[in-house]
Amino acid sequence: MTFDAIGIAGTGLNVHRKWLDALSDNIANINTAAPAGEEAFRERLVTVQAGTQSPGVYVAGVVESEAEARLVYDPEHPYADEEGYVRYPDVDLGDQMSMLILAQRGYEANAAVVDRAKTAYEAALQIGRG
Amino acid sequence: MSGSMDAIAPLGASSLTPLNFESRVPDAAVADAAASGTFASTLTDAVENLQELQSTSNELAVKAVTGDLQDIHQATIAATRASLTLDLVVAVRDRSVAAFNEIMRMQA
Repeated sequence: MTFDAIGIAGTGLNVHRKWLDALSDNIANINTAAPAGEEAFRERLVTVQAGTQSPGVYVAGVVESEAEARLVYDPEHPYADEEGYVRYPDVDLGDQMSMLILAQRGYEANAAVVDRAKTAYEAALQIGRG
Repeated sequence: MSGSMDAIAPLGASSLTPLNFESRVPDAAVADAAASGTFASTLTDAVENLQELQSTSNELAVKAVTGDLQDIHQATIAATRASLTLDLVVAVRDRSVAAFNEIMRMQA
C-alpha cells in the first residue's frame, strides 16, 4: 500500500477511537441501576492485537468485565430488591478517566505520526528540486 | 557482485528495445513491460492509483457531509494520501517533462 506509515497509523487511530467509544459507554452507564432480577451493566473492555498479515494494530473484540454489580443500600429506590439493595455497575470512574487520557493520548500520537509521515514524504519530493 | 556484472554484459544493446514510450506494444509485451516495470507502465499505474485514491477521498468527503462517516480520521487520511500521491505524480511528471525539454534542446 502506498505511504504505509500513514496506513499503519490509521489502524492505531481506529483502535483508539473504538477504545474511546467503549470508555464513553462505560462512563455513560456508570450510574445505571439495574431493575431487581436483571443483570447490571458490565464494563466494556476492548481487546486488541498486533496485525499478523499486515502491520498495524487491530481490535480483536469487545469483552465484558467479570466484575459483578456493586450493591448500594437504598430501600426507597424503585429497583431495590427485598433486602433493600440496588445493583449498580461495578465501574470505577477514576479508572475510566485515566484510561480516557491514555486513549486520547494514543489517538493524538497516531495522528501525529500521520502528520510527521506526510512531512517526511513531502521532504522526499523536494529532493533535487533546488 | 562480480556475478551480476558478468550477467549484464552478454545482453548488449538489444535490451534497450523495450524502452518504448509511444508505439503500441502487443499484449504479451504489455504484460512483460508491467512485470519489468517500464517507465510508461509505472507512470500509468501511478495515475490510476491516484484516481482511485481521489475517488475514495471524494466518497468519504460526501459521507462526512451527509453524516454517514464512521471515523473522522478515515476521511482526513484518505485526503492526505490523495494529496501526497498527487504531489508525487506531479513531481514525476515535472521531472520527465524537464528531461524531455533537455533532450529537445540538444544541438545536432
